[in-house]
Amino acid sequence: MNPNEEKVKIITEEFTENDEDAQVRRQKKKSRAQRQQRKKQPRTPGPEEMVSENCHVGPPLEPGEEKPDTHLLSTTARRGPRSLPPVPSTSRTGFAEFSMRERMREKLQAARSKAESALLQEIPTPRPRRLRSPSERESETEFGTEPSKEIQGTQQEDDLKSYTRVKFHDSVRKLKSKSQAPPGFPSAEEAYNFFIFNFDPGPEEQEEKPTVICRDGANQEEEEGEEEGPAQTGDETGEEGLLDGKDAEDFLLGLDPTAHNFVTVRAAEYESTHIRLQKEKEVLFVPSRLTVPTYKKLPENVQPRFLEDEGLYIGARPEVARNNQNIMENRLLMQESGRKWFGDDGRVLALPSPIKPSPSRPPQFTQELSNKAELETLYKKATKYIHRHQHMIGSGDPPGNFQLDIDISGLIFTHHPCFSREHVLASKLAQLYDQYLARHQRNKAKFLTDKLQALRNAVQTGLNPEKSHHSLDTTQTNINEYKSEIRQTRKLRDAEQEKDRTLLKNIIKVWKEMKSLREFQRFTNTPLKLVLRKEKVDQKADEEAYEAEIQAEINELLEEHAEEYAQKMEEYKTSHQQWKAWKKAQRAKKKKNKQAAEENPDEEGGEPFPEEEPVKPIPPEPTDTAIIEQQVRERAVHSRRRPGEPKLVPELTLAGNTTPNEQCPRVEVLRREDVKRRSVYLKVLFNNKEVSRTVSRQLGADFRVHFGQIFNLQIFNWPESLTLQVYETVGHSSTTLLAEVFLPIPETTLVTGRAPIEEVEFSSSQHVTLDHEGVGSGVPFSFEADGSNQLILMTSGKVSHSVAWAIGENGIPLIPPLSQQNIGFRSALKRADAISSIGTSGLTDMKKLAKWAAESKLDPNDPNNAPLMQLISIATSGESYIPNFFRIEQLQQEFNFVSDEELSRSKRFRLLSLRSQEVPEFRNYKQIPIYDREIMEKVFQDYEKRLRDRNVIETKDHLDAHRATVAKYLQQVRESVVNRFLIAKHHFLLTDLVAEEEVPNISSEGSGILGLSLFKLAEQKRPLKPRRKGRKKVTAQNLSDGDIKLLVNIIRAYDIPVRKPIVSKFQQPSRSSRTFREPHAASPSAHSPAHSADYPLSQVLVRPFVEVSFQRTICHTTTAEGPNPSWNEELELPFRAPNEDYSTASLQSVKDDVYINIFDEVLYDVLEDDRERGSGIHTRIERHWLGCVKIPFSTIYFQTRIDGTFKIDIPPVLLGYSKEHNMIMERGFDYARSLSEGSYITLFITIEPQLVPAEPVREKFDSQEDEKLLQATEKFQAECALKFPHRQCLTTVIDISGKTVFITRYLKPLNPPPELLNVYPNNSQATTELVARYVSLIPFLPDSVSFAGICDLWSTSDQFLDLLAGDEEEHAVLLCNYFLSLGKKAWLVMGNAIPEGPTAYVLSREKNHYLIWNPCSGHCYGQYDTFCPLKTVGCLIGPDNIWFNIQEHDSPLRINFDVTKPKLWKSFFSRSLPYPGLSSVQPEELIYQRTDKAAVAELQDRIEKILKEKIMDWRPRHLTRWNRYCTSTLRHFLPLLESSQGDDVEDEHRAELLKQLGDYRFSGFPLHMPYSEVKPLIEAVYSTGVHNIDVPNVEFALAVYIHPYPKNVLSVWIYVASLIRNR
Amino acid sequence: MAEVHVIGQIIGATGFSESSLFCKWGIHTGAAWKLLSGVREGQTQVDTPQVGDMAYWSHPIDLHFATKGLQGWPKLHLQVWSQDSFGRCQLAGYGFCHVPSSPGTHQLDCPTWRPLGSWQEQLARAFVGGGPQLLHADTIYSGADRYRLHTAAGGTVRLDLGLLLRHFDRYGVEC
Repeated sequence: MNPNEEKVKIITEEFTENDEDAQVRRQKKKSRAQRQQRKKQPRTPGPEEMVSENCHVGPPLEPGEEKPDTHLLSTTARRGPRSLPPVPSTSRTGFAEFSMRERMREKLQAARSKAESALLQEIPTPRPRRLRSPSERESETEFGTEPSKEIQGTQQEDDLKSYTRVKFHDSVRKLKSKSQAPPGFPSAEEAYNFFIFNFDPGPEEQEEKPTVICRDGANQEEEEGEEEGPAQTGDETGEEGLLDGKDAEDFLLGLDPTAHNFVTVRAAEYESTHIRLQKEKEVLFVPSRLTVPTYKKLPENVQPRFLEDEGLYIGARPEVARNNQNIMENRLLMQESGRKWFGDDGRVLALPSPIKPSPSRPPQFTQELSNKAELETLYKKATKYIHRHQHMIGSGDPPGNFQLDIDISGLIFTHHPCFSREHVLASKLAQLYDQYLARHQRNKAKFLTDKLQALRNAVQTGLNPEKSHHSLDTTQTNINEYKSEIRQTRKLRDAEQEKDRTLLKNIIKVWKEMKSLREFQRFTNTPLKLVLRKEKVDQKADEEAYEAEIQAEINELLEEHAEEYAQKMEEYKTSHQQWKAWKKAQRAKKKKNKQAAEENPDEEGGEPFPEEEPVKPIPPEPTDTAIIEQQVRERAVHSRRRPGEPKLVPELTLAGNTTPNEQCPRVEVLRREDVKRRSVYLKVLFNNKEVSRTVSRQLGADFRVHFGQIFNLQIFNWPESLTLQVYETVGHSSTTLLAEVFLPIPETTLVTGRAPIEEVEFSSSQHVTLDHEGVGSGVPFSFEADGSNQLILMTSGKVSHSVAWAIGENGIPLIPPLSQQNIGFRSALKRADAISSIGTSGLTDMKKLAKWAAESKLDPNDPNNAPLMQLISIATSGESYIPNFFRIEQLQQEFNFVSDEELSRSKRFRLLSLRSQEVPEFRNYKQIPIYDREIMEKVFQDYEKRLRDRNVIETKDHLDAHRATVAKYLQQVRESVVNRFLIAKHHFLLTDLVAEEEVPNISSEGSGILGLSLFKLAEQKRPLKPRRKGRKKVTAQNLSDGDIKLLVNIIRAYDIPVRKPIVSKFQQPSRSSRTFREPHAASPSAHSPAHSADYPLSQVLVRPFVEVSFQRTICHTTTAEGPNPSWNEELELPFRAPNEDYSTASLQSVKDDVYINIFDEVLYDVLEDDRERGSGIHTRIERHWLGCVKIPFSTIYFQTRIDGTFKIDIPPVLLGYSKEHNMIMERGFDYARSLSEGSYITLFITIEPQLVPAEPVREKFDSQEDEKLLQATEKFQAECALKFPHRQCLTTVIDISGKTVFITRYLKPLNPPPELLNVYPNNSQATTELVARYVSLIPFLPDSVSFAGICDLWSTSDQFLDLLAGDEEEHAVLLCNYFLSLGKKAWLVMGNAIPEGPTAYVLSREKNHYLIWNPCSGHCYGQYDTFCPLKTVGCLIGPDNIWFNIQEHDSPLRINFDVTKPKLWKSFFSRSLPYPGLSSVQPEELIYQRTDKAAVAELQDRIEKILKEKIMDWRPRHLTRWNRYCTSTLRHFLPLLESSQGDDVEDEHRAELLKQLGDYRFSGFPLHMPYSEVKPLIEAVYSTGVHNIDVPNVEFALAVYIHPYPKNVLSVWIYVASLIRNR
Repeated sequence: MAEVHVIGQIIGATGFSESSLFCKWGIHTGAAWKLLSGVREGQTQVDTPQVGDMAYWSHPIDLHFATKGLQGWPKLHLQVWSQDSFGRCQLAGYGFCHVPSSPGTHQLDCPTWRPLGSWQEQLARAFVGGGPQLLHADTIYSGADRYRLHTAAGGTVRLDLGLLLRHFDRYGVEC
C-alpha cells in the first residue's frame, strides 16, 4: 500500500466521522467497507497493475444488489479525470470543502508535503502510469468483450445523469459546507438541516438515496484517483481556488443571502512559472531535437546495415523534416520496446513515399495572366471568305507553319577511297580509342566489382547469426539468391574485364602496326599519336587485393562445387539405392529363372534383356581444390591485370607531325592532291524531296569536313522521312552520290537548343580503284608485302548533326500536331527500343513494355530502373491500367450501356455507317431495317469478301492469269486513287446547289441582250427554220431511274456493203490489186471497171436498218433502201445508272457502250406451196449484220453530245456482201470520199436531260520537276489559253503514282518487239503498219472509267505494256516511241477527235507528207483525208519540245505541220528557256517476253466454248445446232485473216466456202478484237445478233482464233456464221 | 446501342447588331457516341433580313447517333458570323447549347457572346472590322475557366430541334 494513500484515507475518515450526517454516514460506511475490502486486494504488482484493478475486482462485487451500480459508477468516475474532466473537479471540490477550509488545507498541505516527499522517492512510478495510459485502455478493451463495451456506454450515460444530480447536491452541499461555522456555533449544515430537513417529504428522500450513494461512490473513487495521481494535486488546488470564487458567486446570486458572512476573501493562488515548469518537467516529457546516435537505435553490437548498398531496392522515403524525425526518434526511444520502430539501417521504418511523382490531375493554371493560352484570342481582320478552304467549326484553324531545324555540323570519313594505308590504321585506332573511352566512362567492370563486393558483404551479414529478427527461412532464401547473383555477377565481371583487356591490347597492337608502317613508308600521313601512360600501383596492396579476390572466388567456387557435390551425392544415393533394389530383384528373378530354366531351358537366353539393366551409378568425385584454384588463377591471369603491373592508360593525341609533301614519294603526293580536289556536300531531303543542300566543302587531309550549317525547314506536314545525301565532287567533273543517311525524326519534346549533336554512320557500296597511294573502296588491299591478309573496306563515315523542332516567338515549339503522325510511324516506334521510347507519346502498351523488361532481364533492384519497374508494376499489377495521361471522361466505362464490341456488332449500325461512308456495296441501300434481326448476314457477305479478297487473285473471272493480276493491280490503284479524292468529291460547287436561270442582261453576249430579245418577240415566226436552243443542265442530285434518256439521232449512212447476187456461183477474184491502203497517194488503178458489167441490172438492193443497243435495250430504225440510206430518225434509249446512283462519280464510271449496228434486212419467201401465192404472203425476215459503231457512254457523258460521221466497223470478210459501191458512183464526182474505203454513218447522240459533267479535280500534285520548269509550264499554258482557249495544250501530266511529270519525258525512242521487225525486214512501210497494229491490239481502257473522272493518269510504256490496258495517251505514246525508234520523225498530237473528244494521236512525217495515226485502231490517215477522225490540233509534243498551234485554223486539213516556223507554232523551249535535257521517265529498253503458245491455245478453246454456250443460252426456245464441218473450215481460215490483216482473202475464202458448203445459204463474218476480257467478246457477239435467227433448220458455226503477239498481246478473231440449208 | 436522332433546323438569329449573318455550327459528342449518318458540322447561307432584325437560315440538321452511354451528350456549338458590304466576314458571336435530352420537339434559344479584346481591338473592330476570335474554337464548349475571357453579348440563335430516342429504356434510362 502506498503510504500517502493511507494518509489521505485517514483524513477522509476523519471528515466522515466528524461531519457526515448519520444517513450519509451509514451509506458511507457501507461503501467504505467496500473500499476497504477492495483495498485489501493484493496490490503487489505495483502501480502499473492498478489500472486493470477494476477488472480484477469486478467479479467479487457483482453479487450485491446495488453494488454493481456503485461499482460501475466508481469505475467510470475513476476514469473521469481522463474522459470527463469537469466532473471530478466539481464533485471533488464540493467534497474537499466539506470541512472548514483552514483545517482542511492544513491537513491537505501536510498530506501533500508528505505525498511529495514520497513522490520524490518514487519518481519513476507515476510516470509509467501516465505513459501507460494508452496501453491501459488497450487492456480494457482487451479484456472487455462486446457487452462490456456496451455497459461502458450505458455507464457513461448514467454518469452524465448522476453528474447532473451530483451537481445539484453539490451545490446544496456547498452551501452546507459554507455554513460551517467556527466551533461553538451551530454549523451551517446543522442549521440548514434544522430548517430544511424537516420539510423534506419522505418519498423524495427515498429517491435521493441512490443518488447520494452514487455521489459517494464517485467521491470515493475520486479520492482514489487523487491518491493514485498525486502529481495532479497542484493543479487541483488551483482549480479549487477558482471554484471557490465560483461558489461565492453562486452564493451571491442569492441562494442564501446570509451566506456571505461566512466568506473569506483570499489572495488568488499563484504558482510561479518556474515552479510550474519544474512540476511540468516531472510530468511531461519533451523529446529532444537532437539527432539520436545510431547505436541507440540498434540492438547492442549491431552495425547498421544498409540494404541499398547491398543492391536491394528501397523506395524513396517520404520526406520528413530532419527536426521532426529527430523528435520522433527520441520519443520512440523513450517508449518501451521503442526499437522495434527502427530498421536495420537505424532509421525509422518507412514505406516508400506514397506520393505519386506526377499529379493525376492536370496542373492547375496559376493565376498568372500569361498562362491563359487556351483562352487566348486573336484579332483577325475581316477577311473575304475563301471558298477553297471550307472552314468548319470545331476543326480549328488550319495549323500554321512548323519548323524543323537541322544542324549539320560536319562529316568524318571512317573510310574513304583516298585513305592511305596509314589512314586506315589511324581510323581503326581512333575507333578503338573511342570504344575505349566509352567503356572507360561506363566502367562496367568497376561497377560489377563493387556489386560483387556488396553482394558478398550481404551474404556475410546474412550468415551472421546475430541477425535475429529475420526468420531463418527468409535469410536462407535471401542468401541463396545472393549467391546465385554473385555467380552471375562474377561471370559478367570477368567477361567485362577480359574485354577491357583485349581492347587495350588491340589498341596497342594497332598502334604498333601503325608505327611500323610509318617507318616502312618513311613518311607520316596522320598526326595521330598514341601515348601510353603508366599508373603506378602499390605493389603490395595490389597483390593482396588480387590474392584476396582469388581466394574469395575459390571459396565461392568450392562452395558451389560442394553444393553440387552434395546434390550429386544425393542423386547418387538414390540411384544407388534403386540399383541395389534392382539388383536384388534381379537376383531373385535369376533364382526363379534358374528354377524355371531347369523346367524349360529355352527361355533362359532372352530373360535379362527385356529390362534395360540400370548402370551401376558411379559416385561423384569430390572436387579438387587445387584444380579449381588453378582454373581461377588462369582466368585471372587472362582477364585481369597482374598484381604490380602498372595500369596502362592510352591517350590518343593529334600532336604528331605529318611529313610535308616534298619529302613524300610521288604516289603519296598524288594521293594528297587527289584528296584536295575532292569536295563534299550534303543534300537535305525532307519526305524524299530535296529541300536544301550544304555548301560544297573541300575534303581536308584528315578527311573531315566541317559544314556548321543550320537549315530551318518550314514544314506543313508531319515529316515522314529525313534524309541526308552525301555527294562527292572530284575536281570539276561529275558529282557522285556516296550514300544516304537517314536521320531519325526528333521527338516532340526535343526542341532547338536542347538537341544534342548526334552522329549517324553511313556507308557506300561504291567501288573505287585509284592509281595512287589511296587504298580505294570496295577493292581488296593488304598491309603485308606479299599481299596476304587482304582487306576490303567500303567508303563509310559519320555525319554529325542534330535535328530539333524550332521554338516559335512565344516559346511554343513549332511541332505539327500529333494527329498528323501516321500509324506507320508509331508502329515503327513501338518496334524500337522500349526504354528509349518511354517518354514518347503514343506508346502506351504497358504489357509489351513489361514483357520487354522481363525478356531483357532488367535488374529490378537497380535504382536506375526503379521508375520503369514501378511503372510496370503499376501497369501490370491489376486489371486497372493506369495511364500516364489524364482522362477527361472518367467513369465512362462504368456507365456504358454496352461494350464497344457489342456496339460494333450491331448489324444495323454497321449498315447505316457503311451507307453513309458511301461504300460501293451500300451506297444506295435504302430502308435499313429497324431491328438487327431483320438484317440478313449475307448483306455483308459481298463486302467482306471484297475486303478479304483484296489481295487474293482469282483466276476464275479471268481466263488469263496475267490479266487477272493486272486487273487486281488496276483495282488497287483505283481504290487508292479514289480514296485520295473521296473528300474532293464531296466538294460542291455553287452550280451544283443553285440552279440559277440566267437573267437577261443588257451587257451579256449573244442572245442575252435585252433589247434584242424584246425585238425577237416581234420577229416573224419561221417554223421551217428551227433554231438550236440551249438546253438546261441538270445536276445529278435529283435524278432517278427513267429520268435520263439517251437520244440517238441516226441521220444517214454512206457506202453500205451491198448484197452480192447469189447467182454467181463462182466468181473469179478480181479485186486483188489493192494491197496497201494508200490514203496519201491513192492510185486510181484500183478502180478497175472490169467487172462492172455484172451489176447494172442484177444490182440487189441492200435494205439496211440501224439497231442501237445500250444496256441491253434495243431500238431500231425503219428499213431504208440502198447503199446510201437516209433514216433521219431519233431513237430514245433509257439510261439506268448502276445502283441507281446518279452522282457524277457514278455516272463517270459507267462502262457501258452504245452499239450502233447496221443490219441488212432480207426477206425470204417461205411459201411452200406455189398455189397460195396469189392469196397470201409468207416471207421470213432475216437480218444480216453488216457492221457496227461502238461509242462508250463515258464519251457521250463527257462530250455531252456526239455529232459527226463515223466509220462503220465492218468485218474484213462479209459473206454475201461486197463494197462495190464505186461502180455506181464511178464518175469520180467525189474523189476525196472514194479514197477512203469503208462505210460511214452520220450520227447525233446526246443525253436528255443534259447532265453536268464533273469538273476534273484540279489538285496540285507533288512533283519532282524543277520549280522553274513548273512555273514555266504554268505560264506557257496561261499564255496559250489566253490566245486559244479551246485548243488543248498539255505540258505536264500525272504519272501513275500521282506525281506531276513534264510531258516530254514520256517520249523517247523505244524498241518495238523484234518479232515484228523481222516480219518485213525490207519493207519499212509494212513494218510501220504492223507496229501500229500491234499497238492497237493492246486493249483500250479509258482512264476516266478506271479512275472515275478524277484525273488522267499517264503510265509509262513499260507500265502500259505490263498493265495491257490504257487509253489513247498511252497508245499514242507507245506508238510514237516506236516510230521514233524506227527512225521516223514523229510527234504526239493533242487535239479533238470524234468520237473520243480530247485525245492524243500520232503524227509521223514520211518523205514528203504527214500521216496521222489513230493509235487505238492502228489506222492512218493522210493530212488531207476528210474522214480523218482527228478534227482539231492543239499542240504537238516531241521528245524535246512542245509546240502549241497558234495558226488561225486548227483542222489538220488546213494547218501547216512545219514546227520550225515560230509564227505557226509556239514552242515551249526556246532561246529564252533552253531545253535543260530532261531525262526520260521511260525505261531504257522494253523487254518483251514471248507469249506462251500453249496457254493461248487453251484460252482459245475456252473462249470458243464459252461463246458457244452463250449463244445457246441466248436461244432458249430453239435448238442450236453446230455445224462442225463449217467450223473447222472457218478455223483454218482465221489464221489467214490474221496474217493478211483482213485484206485480200475475201474472195478466195468465199470461193472455198462455196465449194465446200455449196448447198447452204451462208451468212457470217469474222470479228476482230484485242483481247482484254471475255465479257467484251461476248458483248460483241451478242450485238451482231447472229443468234436471233429462228429459222428452224439453222445451223451455226463458230471459230475462235487467237494470235499471240509478244508481251501477251493477243489478237482475237471470232468467226460466227449461220447456215441455212438450201432446198 | 441506344440511338438518338436529332432532326431539326437552325431557324435564325436575332439581336445581333450586324446584319447579313451566317452561322457555322457543329455538334460535339463524347467518346461513347458514334455518328451513324448525317453531317456533324455545317454552315448556313448568309441571310440579310429585309423585315425585322431576325435573320432566317432554316438550316437543316439531321443526325443519327448511336451511343453506348449517356456521357458526352451532344452539344451544339455555333459561331455566328457577319458579312459586311465588302464581302468580308467577321465574328459576331459564339454560342453553345446542349441538345435536349427528352424526346419531342424543342425550341431552343442559344445566346451568344464574343470576345471583347483590348480597347485597341474594340476600336479597330468598330472602324475597320474584324475582331478578336478564339484561338481554340473548342473553348466554346470545353469547360476551361473562362472567367479571364472578357466577352460582350451577341444576339440569340434560335433552334428548333426534334429528338427521337430509341432503346434508352432498355438501359434503364427513362425518357
